[in-house]
Amino acid sequence: MRPPLRVWGVVGFLILLHFGLHVSLGLGESAPDLLVVALLLAAREVHIGQGAALGFFLGVLDDAFSVLAFGANTFAMTLVGMGGARTRDLFVGDSLLFLTSYLVLGKWMRDFLHWVAVGQDLRESFVDTMLIQSPISAAYAGVVGLAVIAVSGLGWETIR
Amino acid sequence: MPNYKSNHNGSGRARSGLISLGFFVLSVVTLYLPDSSQDEVASLLRGSLLRPFILAQEGLVRRSIHAEDTEDLQRQLDSLEVVIANSNTLAEENDRLRRLLTLSNRNPAQYVAASVIRSGTPGSESMFMLDVGTRSGVTRDSPVIMGRGLLGVVREAQANSATAMDWTHPQFAVSAMTVDGAVYGIARATPGRFREADRLLLNGVPFRQELGPGVSLVTSGLGGVYPRGIPIGVVIEESAAEEGWQRSYWLQPFVSPGEATHANVLVPDDGEPRDVSAWLEGGPTLPGRAPAPDEGAAGTRDTEAPTSR
Repeated sequence: MRPPLRVWGVVGFLILLHFGLHVSLGLGESAPDLLVVALLLAAREVHIGQGAALGFFLGVLDDAFSVLAFGANTFAMTLVGMGGARTRDLFVGDSLLFLTSYLVLGKWMRDFLHWVAVGQDLRESFVDTMLIQSPISAAYAGVVGLAVIAVSGLGWETIR
Repeated sequence: MPNYKSNHNGSGRARSGLISLGFFVLSVVTLYLPDSSQDEVASLLRGSLLRPFILAQEGLVRRSIHAEDTEDLQRQLDSLEVVIANSNTLAEENDRLRRLLTLSNRNPAQYVAASVIRSGTPGSESMFMLDVGTRSGVTRDSPVIMGRGLLGVVREAQANSATAMDWTHPQFAVSAMTVDGAVYGIARATPGRFREADRLLLNGVPFRQELGPGVSLVTSGLGGVYPRGIPIGVVIEESAAEEGWQRSYWLQPFVSPGEATHANVLVPDDGEPRDVSAWLEGGPTLPGRAPAPDEGAAGTRDTEAPTSR
């Protein structure tokens, strides 16, 4: 199975846009987590090994700016890449509901894994992080992910 | 999403599974790498793949600094001129007293102006980058100072850039004292419920010594990282977290990391050790509060360290 060139094109564009918004413009939390959107979209098109590799690569890039817990993003993104690729075998579907749930849960899971990996000393409270902040950013990523799907056509074959 | 195609054969699926397992193990290894290796990997990525984004932010930060309100800058310049004019008398008086005491002149501290760059990615909340590095004299543990006080410390320095942590970092700690040097303690970052609520907690104050709200604290110079006399913050209230015969106090730092766009890095002068007591010399150093005449004299007296004659 070879993912179409369009997938890698969209992934590359989202990576550039993510660091452009977060680093170059310094928008921080105001900008959506486009790395996880890119990973989740690509993971549905590739093998589990490629999903893990892409997640690892994106996680290391994210960790380049992390002093608090280097490796936590890598760990979280690798597992999300694996999980995203695995959903291809478990769930067959591309309905709007499925894609929304996939993107939102994927982002929430990435935040949860990061929260677990970040270590007890640096970990903020579960309620604040995972039940308040993360659902908001997951919904944000979900909306942006759907917009990317609508524009790029990825994962939209049967809905159009 | 393309329709599901099960085009994996058994060996392909097993190979893919092994690859994913390999990356999973690698991600766990990354998590437990020694700090030095983690810093190397991070700086390699920041200096290569991510460099264009950092350069773009540097450019934008410089532009925004240049676009500052000129009236505001003029006001700051006027204030500084007044401070300098007032300092001249004190400097002259200090020189005369030094001569009377046969003390040698001390070397002034050297500063490098730098732009503060924040990455805004998850996990990087307490760190920032500077656009100056070892070529400008910046080294690991160089203190980073904003106009009103201590912002943080350099963690890692490359040729033309440096990575630093601000006072909200969990590993940040600084030896603090009152301006008159009567009370000492260790100020550490304490996370708040939200990041905006992060504060410093002053630990290790002997039980017999009390600090009232509003007392200003400066760096003590103990430990050799931070020069003596850099303003840190002001006491808000006593903390309930007392340990034995010690008191703890909540501090409101003078500098808010979020507002930092430009900072000064204190660098050693040609490899010579820093003058660790120059900060308290000659004039008001604490933001929004001029020292009383007797306090200023006491502060100067306490900071005087005999040098070679």
